[in-house]
Amino acid sequence: MLDVTKNAKGRIAARTQSRTRLVSLCVNGEWHEVAVKPRITLVEVIRDTIGLTGTKASCESGTCGACTVLIEERPVLGCITLAVECDGKQIRTVEGLADGEKLSPIQEAFLDQGALQCGFCTPGMLMSATALLEGNPKPTRQDINKALEGNLCRCTGYNSIVDAVLQASGQGVKPVMK
Amino acid sequence: MIFFDFDYERADTLEDAVAMLARLQGDARALAGGTDLLPSMRMENIKPGLLVSLSAIEPSEPELLADGSIRIDALSRLASLENSAFLRSKVPMLVQSAHVVGGNQIRQMGTLGGNLCQETRCMQQDQKHDYQFVAPCFKRGGECCYPFPRNGRDICWSVYMSDIAPALIALDAQLEILGEAGSRRIRVEELYTGNGLKPLRLGHAELLRAVFIPPAPRGYTWGYHKSTVRGGLEFGMAVIAVALQLAQDGKTCTDARIVIGAVREGPVRAAAAERSLKGAALDEERLAQAAAKASKEITPLPHHGFTKRHLMDNIRVYLRRTLVRALERARNPGALA
Repeated sequence: MLDVTKNAKGRIAARTQSRTRLVSLCVNGEWHEVAVKPRITLVEVIRDTIGLTGTKASCESGTCGACTVLIEERPVLGCITLAVECDGKQIRTVEGLADGEKLSPIQEAFLDQGALQCGFCTPGMLMSATALLEGNPKPTRQDINKALEGNLCRCTGYNSIVDAVLQASGQGVKPVMK
Repeated sequence: MIFFDFDYERADTLEDAVAMLARLQGDARALAGGTDLLPSMRMENIKPGLLVSLSAIEPSEPELLADGSIRIDALSRLASLENSAFLRSKVPMLVQSAHVVGGNQIRQMGTLGGNLCQETRCMQQDQKHDYQFVAPCFKRGGECCYPFPRNGRDICWSVYMSDIAPALIALDAQLEILGEAGSRRIRVEELYTGNGLKPLRLGHAELLRAVFIPPAPRGYTWGYHKSTVRGGLEFGMAVIAVALQLAQDGKTCTDARIVIGAVREGPVRAAAAERSLKGAALDEERLAQAAAKASKEITPLPHHGFTKRHLMDNIRVYLRRTLVRALERARNPGALA
């Protein structure tokens, strides 16, 4: 199983050519079988191979949270997860939230509160908020701050995002547009 | 996006993983949560030929042992620690320290063992070396330290940023380390060498298996504080963990452990400040003197834009407040969550 060779300096090293592997991922309820090298991250597979470009790759070093996806209903960072690690796992991305043309309550609330400006952080925010609301249907402002602390937004100043999550959980924030 | 190729194996047990790491003699790295390893691989600070994934190994639940100590699996996710009602009632300081690590996603991915074994950091290594157009620094195999050009030969002044290690040292916890020859137990503070080039006293084929926390002695009280700029998703400016043991009268201190993290190459104990508290009747005046002493005896390394003076002031002020809170907690355990 484990190939050990000697490199040019005569030191023991792993083989430099990494093997391509077949990985099965269930993205938004649909199984995909993709061939990946170990160095390919989950967000690269979702965007480039599967073609779901809703998930954004921004800092690509685990700092900003734009690539947040749900693996087995846990919010994780797609840019610092290797695709080979996700073999056989259930993955949800932002495309899995809406039902056809009908937006999910959290997406509606984001629209209504104007909780996005450039929109680059929004897929990650939506996934973190979805994971929060599934575990805790009536979060307080503090819970929301804690759950969304891993997502950076440079436009909104966060207040409208927190309002949107409160509105989606049905907690007395007045809809702005309707 | 990682720019170089490497191979990948998944280990079924921790012993398997150690055997694989041993065969590769330093060219392999263990991958648990990946929240520290994969960013450093993206920056090409570490270029292993093989990653040994531990993701197939299920961590066991925290358990209470017969001697009253608590065993926590090193592969436990930080989110499972902060949400554990058992740990919250037994070791609230550990839960608090797990709660302030990184962001929510980082805590969902990262493991306890990975947090303790994280690399030291500095601003030079937060950027990919190719973008810097300078010769490599000590840690990347070069001949210079850019943040501290005059700090002498072969000294890497990078800072160890774990939030949990200071809490574990204040709790006097022990680690079980699994190697080729079997497992050994050390105290958490013995894990750190105090050398930025090689901050951990771990062989290339050694992995943490579990953390053991001894039962809290009578009259024990604790305080924990992480100073940050934003309050979330960042490394600490200084991390303070204190554990005090008070005599029956609730005033005289019989034992004190003061640990400061994120200011040196490993967590450091403020020995002189601890000595000044031992046997003394504690009041705010005494605690303020101890905090001032601690800030002088620990020489913080300037890191991430914070000057030494700033960090000393930070330690002096927040250590005093943390100690005062610990004392309040002892007098009125219900008042502070």
